[in-house]
Formats: sequence, C-alpha cells, structure tokens
Amino acid sequence: MSHDTEPAGPVFTPARKAELEALAAKYPTRQALLLPALWMAQREHGWVRPEAIDEIAAELDLTPAYVRGVVTFYTMYHTHPVGRHFIQVCTTSPCGMCGAGDVVAALLEHTGCGELGATSPDGRFTVIETECLGACGFVTPMLIDDDFLESVTPDTVPELLARYP
Amino acid sequence: MADAQVTLTVDGMDVTVPRGTMLIDAARQAGVVVPHYCYHPGLPSPAVCRMCLVQVEKMPKLVPACVTAAADGQVVHVHSPEAKQARKGVLEFLLINHPLDCPICDQAGECELQDFVFQEGQAGTRYGDYPKRFNPVEDFGPDILYVPNRCILCTRCVRFMEDVAEAPVLNVSERGDRAYIGIDPDHRLDHPWSGNVVDLCPVGSLVSKDFLHKARAWDLDKTASVCPGCTQGCNVTIEARDEVVVRLRPRTNPEVNRWFMCDAGRADYRWMNRGDRCEAPLAIGDGRPVAHDWDDALTTFASLVGESDGPAVVLFGRRASSETIGWMLRLLDGRRTTAAIQVPEGPEAALAAVPNLALRRERSPNLHGARLLGADADWDAAIAALGGAALALVVDADLSDAEAAAMSGAARVVHLATVADPRLTTAALVLPVTTMAEEQGVYVNRDGRAQRYLPARTPPGMARPGWWVAASAWQRLGADRTVPATASEALGALPAFAGLDHDALGWHGRVLATAAAGRTR
Repeated sequence: MSHDTEPAGPVFTPARKAELEALAAKYPTRQALLLPALWMAQREHGWVRPEAIDEIAAELDLTPAYVRGVVTFYTMYHTHPVGRHFIQVCTTSPCGMCGAGDVVAALLEHTGCGELGATSPDGRFTVIETECLGACGFVTPMLIDDDFLESVTPDTVPELLARYP
Repeated sequence: MADAQVTLTVDGMDVTVPRGTMLIDAARQAGVVVPHYCYHPGLPSPAVCRMCLVQVEKMPKLVPACVTAAADGQVVHVHSPEAKQARKGVLEFLLINHPLDCPICDQAGECELQDFVFQEGQAGTRYGDYPKRFNPVEDFGPDILYVPNRCILCTRCVRFMEDVAEAPVLNVSERGDRAYIGIDPDHRLDHPWSGNVVDLCPVGSLVSKDFLHKARAWDLDKTASVCPGCTQGCNVTIEARDEVVVRLRPRTNPEVNRWFMCDAGRADYRWMNRGDRCEAPLAIGDGRPVAHDWDDALTTFASLVGESDGPAVVLFGRRASSETIGWMLRLLDGRRTTAAIQVPEGPEAALAAVPNLALRRERSPNLHGARLLGADADWDAAIAALGGAALALVVDADLSDAEAAAMSGAARVVHLATVADPRLTTAALVLPVTTMAEEQGVYVNRDGRAQRYLPARTPPGMARPGWWVAASAWQRLGADRTVPATASEALGALPAFAGLDHDALGWHGRVLATAAAGRTR
C-alpha cells in the first residue's frame, strides 16, 4: 500500500478488470458496482485518487461528479492520503454522553495526529469521528482498519495503539 | 365519473384531478399551497426535503405530497396540527446552520425559506449555544456563486444539471450536517442554460454574480415580456429598479420555454439601459441637426415619403415589433419596396431534456413575424438595393461601417433611431423611437406563436413606438385615415393578424393560423 501523492498506475489493470466483471453478475446494474470498484481503487492506492474517480466513472458509465458524491458520502473511502492505520471513533449521542470525547482526545494525543483527519508525523495513524457503529452498549467502540474494538477508554488507548505498528 | 379522474378532499375542498396526479399538484388545484423545497414541477421529485409532509386519513404516517399519488376518496389535511408540527420540525433543522443573513442576501423577499418559516416555523432557536457550521463561498461558474451556508440541500440544482441540462457536474458531497453541493473539480457551471439553477434555488444559496447586491426583490418592478434574444421567444419577466433594468428571468410558459431561459437571453438586457438615447426628432437643415416637435417632424417625414417615387428600402433592426414592421410597410404601400429584418447568427444551444427548446441560431425574436408581414427580403439584397433607391428607412438597425456607407446610395434617408448614428450623414430626418423594453408589441416566434410584451420602463424624451411614427405619417398622406390609439389596435389593423388584439393573445401567446405560410419560407 502506498501513501504518497505521486502519480499512480491505473486501477483497472486487466486482472482487476476481470475481477470487476466477475462481480458484475452479482449486481442488478453497473451503477451498483460502484462500491466494490471504489474498494479496489482504495486497496490499490491507499486512498481514492481523483484519477481513479475519473477511471471508475468511465468504467461504470457514471459521471465523475456522481462518483465523487458517493466517495465523500462514506467515511470509509478516503479523499486524501491517510496513515497506515485508519481509526474511526464513534461519537454519536450515547457514546458522546459516555465520554467518547475523552477517547478522541487520548487518541489524538497518543498517535501524535494533533487534529481529526490529520495523519501523524510518523505516518502511522489517522483518526476521524464517525457516526453510530452500532455498539451503544459497549461504549466507546472504534474501528482500527477492519478491527472492531469495544469499550475503549482513554486508559486503554496506548495499549491498543501499540498493537498497530 | 370517468376512470381517468379521481376525486379527493384537500383541507375540506373537493377537487377532481387526473389519476396519477401527485397530492401537491392536486392541493394546488384546490387552492392550497403545500410548503415544499425539493419539489419543482420541471424536475423529478426525490422527496428529500420532507417539507411537503401532509396527513392523509387512514394512512399511518404523514406522507410527502410530492411523490404520493392522489387516490379516489382520499381525505388530505395539509394544515392539520400533526402536519404543521412535522414541518415546523423540518424548518427548525434547516435553520440550525442557516446563517440568517437575510439583510445581505439577494434572495431575501423572494426566499421560500423566509416564506415558510414565517408561515409555519417557530420563532427563536433552541441551538443558540452552539456555533454554526461554516463553509466559504465557492465560485461555480461565469455567473454563479454558491453560498453553502445558506443551502438547504433540496438538490434542485443537482437534478436540473443531471436530468434537464444533462450535463451532470453537480453532486451532493459529504453527508449529514457536513453535506454541501459539490462540483466536479474539472468542470465549471458554464453550460449555456446553467443560469436556471439560480432561479430554481429556493433560497439564496446559488446567486447570480451579475445581479449580486444590485437590488432588493421588493424594489423591483416586474413586467411580462418576451426574450428578444432569438426566434425561440422565451417568455420572460423584465425586472427593473427605478427605471433601470437589472435582470431578466424566465416566465413560465408550458408551450414555449417551460420554466427556463438560456444564459445568453439572461445577459441580454444592458442595451435597455443605454443613456445615449435619441430623445427628440431631428431634421437636418443647413448641414446641422435641428430639433423639432413631432407634428413638424411627421409632416416632413410624410412629405419625404410622398415625394419619393421610386423603389424604397426598409432595414429593420432585429428587435422590431410586428406592429412597427406592419405599419412601416403600410406607409410604403403601392411602392416597390425591399424590406429586410436584421438577423445576427450565433451557435445554437439546446436544453437537452426539453423538446423544442434551444437558443436558436437566428438571433432575432421576430424573424417569423417579419416574414409574415412581408419584410422577407434577404438582408444583403436589401443593402444592395440601397443604390438607386428613392427612399431608405432605417428602423433601429445596427449597421456595419460598409452598410452605413451604402446608405448614401439612397436619395432620401430617414433614420428611426433609438441611438443616433453619426455615420448616416445623408439622413434627412432622425426620429426617436422606443426599444422593445419601452413599448407594447407582439413578436411571432419560430412556431408561429404570437406573443405580446409590455413596456418595462418609460421611453426617454419624445421617443415613440415605431408603429405610431409610421401610422402618423401614413395618416398625413391620405384623407379619412386615423392613427390606431394603441399597439393592440395597430396589430388588429394588420391583415396578417386580422382581428387579433393583445388581450386575445393572453399571457402565453397564440399560434397564428396564418403562420404556416411564414414557416415554410
């Protein structure tokens, strides 16, 4: 996974194009392939590059403006480069009332990110707030990459971060 | 009761509508306006704004009126306490991040957010302790600014560009309270019809740079008119503040332009405000112009016409009214006359999803009226006919230097002018006439539809409509002739419009039975 902003190769190499076409059979329309196509782009480049948006739009007969709208709608797609590990913390009402704000503050401090959406100087982490992760009984939940972590408190933050070099 | 019709009750009033009509349209027919933002008759309805929620008896929840079809026997309550409470909640959400900068907002006075909050919203806020979201103003296109803080995300602009203009460069970016209208970074909002998003925007979020801070909506005098830009003849409203025209906006006509007009038409109003207008009849005596009153000037005009026995040439400007063309030709009746209307040409630009609507190549609003009335000569042929002509009339035409020089080939030249032209050195008489913004008249569009326009501002000085000047000279050339008292009478007296008057044309115009002949040429 590369995290730089240098020009990158196309998303749809012949192999990946075949992968996409294989998926096409599972979906009712080509438009419905947009989310998997965006995942492919993000896996390839680490984030969804503007060139990838144009490429996907052309591939799926959509407009770049529409694809951009979808990319920005979902917090899991990145419109700019992020750290090696992407942390999403739930700060919706129940978590917010139970101290999610303190967890966010601890994360920003221990990762060295400083502010939400920024990448730590060592390139390890990016932290963002997200809407409800569906674990209101186990506040505060968060996602580090694809790992789902529950009952996070400011005290457990350093230990959790240590697992993600 | 035919099957194709359904009868329902809206706020206690029975109304019968075609099957498939949405509740919002049925309610309008019953005289009830359901508050709405995302709904627009010219666009598909996504039901995203939740503003048109109404109560329908026997339905468990409130329903959006813009996407719920009317059904037989339905009882709809638009103003029940439940419906009003729901809409009050929607308005409260919309106002949480709204900057309330009405005093500096161009939309103030014609803002649907203002209207509906005033009508159904609550006074005061429950979110006074929290800062509002802020996004900077964005430059979307040559004439469009996006003010995201005022945006209520109705998505009318997105749907217009996608479904009507079919140039989808806008989207809704981000989500929830961070959402805003985004534009494709590789594009600008420069489609020839993109100005319509400013009209469609129910709030002051998309504003015209041209109109920015020029006038308050309540100071504007609005006049029903017809766009003088091309042969399409879009219906427009001329909006003037203290006699200065500040903008043109589309006026709904389902048969011609629906709710839209193009950017070229929108921008084509500055000439209406020219300050260097010709204000008094001028006769050239001893090599210098001398101002006269109309009586003397018309007598001179009539004698110039009367004494010239030979071919005549009439050059009409592109915006000449049917009345002016018809009466100018009646004045020259019985002579060998070459009459032409000036038709500048430009690229055609269609609005993709609306059939038969485009900025047309022929940039004259009355080309088809001119043909109908006999001013159908080729422009270049008319210029060529100036050599050896006994009389040439220039009726507010924009002449090139070569064309102005060719005028010296005619024995007598009369210039009916909005602006004096120093190049017409041989003109014996300069008569001040009104522009289409200062007179009442009729244009015939490319489909043979005669449409009237009304005066939007006072003519400068002694300027009079071209048809009145022609008719007054015509009266002096024969016995028992009377000048029509109004433009409407002037129109009805022309054979091509026999019996029509302006009232009969209504606000949407009428297709002329006689127009078929004009179209084939």
